[in-house]
Amino acid sequence: MVYLLHQFLETSARRSPNKTAVISGEQSLSYGELDVLTNQLARVLQARGVAPGDRVGIYVSKSLASVVSVFAILKTGACYVPLDPGAPPQRLAFIIRDSEITTLLTSAGKVARVQAMFPDTCPLETVVLVDCDLPAGRRLDEVPVPAGVTVVSWNEVVACSSAPLPENLAIETDTAYILYTSGSTGTPKGVMISHRNSLTFVNWAAECVCLTADDRVSSHAPLHFDLSIFDIYSSCKAGATIILVPEGASTFPVQLTKLIERERITVWYSVPSALTLLVLYGQIEANDLSCLRAIIFAGEVFPVKYLRQLMAMLPQARYLNWYGPTETNVCTSYEVTPLEPERTTPIPIGKACANMEAFAVNSAGEKVTEPGESGELYVRGPSLMQGYWGHPEKTAKMLVRNLFQPHFYELAYKTGDIVTLDADGNYLYIGREDGMIKTRGYRVELGEIESVLYGHPAIREVAVLPVPDEVLGNRLRAVISCYEGTRLSREEVLSFCNQQLPHYMVPDLIEFCEMLPKTSTGKTDRVSLTQSFSS
Amino acid sequence: METIVNEYISRELVSQPDLLPLQNDTPLLEHGILDSLSLLKLVLFLEERFSVEVAPKDLVPEHFGTIEAICKYLRAQHQVQEVQG
Repeated sequence: MVYLLHQFLETSARRSPNKTAVISGEQSLSYGELDVLTNQLARVLQARGVAPGDRVGIYVSKSLASVVSVFAILKTGACYVPLDPGAPPQRLAFIIRDSEITTLLTSAGKVARVQAMFPDTCPLETVVLVDCDLPAGRRLDEVPVPAGVTVVSWNEVVACSSAPLPENLAIETDTAYILYTSGSTGTPKGVMISHRNSLTFVNWAAECVCLTADDRVSSHAPLHFDLSIFDIYSSCKAGATIILVPEGASTFPVQLTKLIERERITVWYSVPSALTLLVLYGQIEANDLSCLRAIIFAGEVFPVKYLRQLMAMLPQARYLNWYGPTETNVCTSYEVTPLEPERTTPIPIGKACANMEAFAVNSAGEKVTEPGESGELYVRGPSLMQGYWGHPEKTAKMLVRNLFQPHFYELAYKTGDIVTLDADGNYLYIGREDGMIKTRGYRVELGEIESVLYGHPAIREVAVLPVPDEVLGNRLRAVISCYEGTRLSREEVLSFCNQQLPHYMVPDLIEFCEMLPKTSTGKTDRVSLTQSFSS
Repeated sequence: METIVNEYISRELVSQPDLLPLQNDTPLLEHGILDSLSLLKLVLFLEERFSVEVAPKDLVPEHFGTIEAICKYLRAQHQVQEVQG
């Protein structure tokens, strides 16, 4: 019986120890090897004080080490907190302190950046190097870490006993991982997901796609993005092979196409913009991608124009549109049928996944039942997050009492997404009423960017607005009003943002004005700002 | 040409100040200066600024690995355009 995510690894390792579990470039690990390595790393973590319930950070580029890390941490009964390798040190320092991480798994190449995160006091106690051994000639005591931090080398891990740890270190309602997402008030917030929450999605997804051990599943999304949950755990459940797509390999769309062809990838899961880039620049028709049998996309609206082109280039594949916030993982799904040539409207987000229920509530507080009616989407079921780490008030705003459950106190997640029903009972995404947008599939709270910019002494007022882009989803535009007598250059604004925000949240369109336009109630007139924008 | 390209990349695409100043032979891919988003932005800039059209088949590491490589590619494109012109 599998009730914890890492039990899939144990089961698959027993069943097919020699089957390739994960490939990264020229390197690979079989299920047996992965099981052994993760036992060893788990034991080292335990010996260094990691206890059930602890938060352990992972700060690595996509590699075999990423997969080893997640399973090892889960085996100790702790939960993992993946840190975005591309985020600025300040942001990562915030996350480490916020989630009280004292043990960090990282690579020898990233240790210097860990130092940069903590110029003064460092909350970390232990840093474990999870990539290959130290560079030739380097000694362990030469690794630069903040004072008071112990470094554990990979040599120590592979020398450790590989006996499995006890099963009862965690139960299904314990936290498996915390994924940090953009927070509207200025700092990111950690979404806590339990094993049970995760398994609800992992199990449904594996079945929806009919994953088998013969599948070769791409891992395109980074670890801190919940698309990775399907890539790693659904694949592991099926005993399939995971092919890691390192960050650099997807810079050039042609390289991605060649990787898919070379590795004979059968199932692809990514944000739509990655697929759009493949359509536009990936030279799909010049390569043989007949291996792909399922193309799944989630995270933002896929412009029909590019979806149509993709389906024409790869007609043999199934196409699945998955929808769901990090707080619930995927909760609705729609299998795309051949598109009518005249269709321009986005495809539906579909119907609830197995074991989950989605319902829309209109402005009168009633459930939406008629096609054409719209309302805010709510989700109930076992995949609902445990809450936001350290933010009970924010949690209570989003995990609300389900008023449609008369028999007991039940929670529902308030998505903030406005949807409508079509004649077949599929939900269609309409939009949001708040300041949360998607850019390249990333979730961005405009308020977080504004909050960061307000921290600059020269900035008096700022509004950050989305500029729709058919390839990227949205671009970010900042309209800034400085204090009298102060001058700010575009470079200064960019540099200021780069220190605190991940690159996808740094505005690329920057304007300066005397004063932001206001509505009659004195609020920033965002409508007027949007209309006055001319690209 | 190298100066224009260097200046654009340094100003718009480099997020870590310790990578500056950029040399014309600094590897742009290893240091994460170019990712799928910044590459697109760069291409749009080059197409506009230098009046070239970057074909999908040319979007490869060989042409975008360094500022030198980019300029070499752009000059070759200009020559092709002149011949066809």
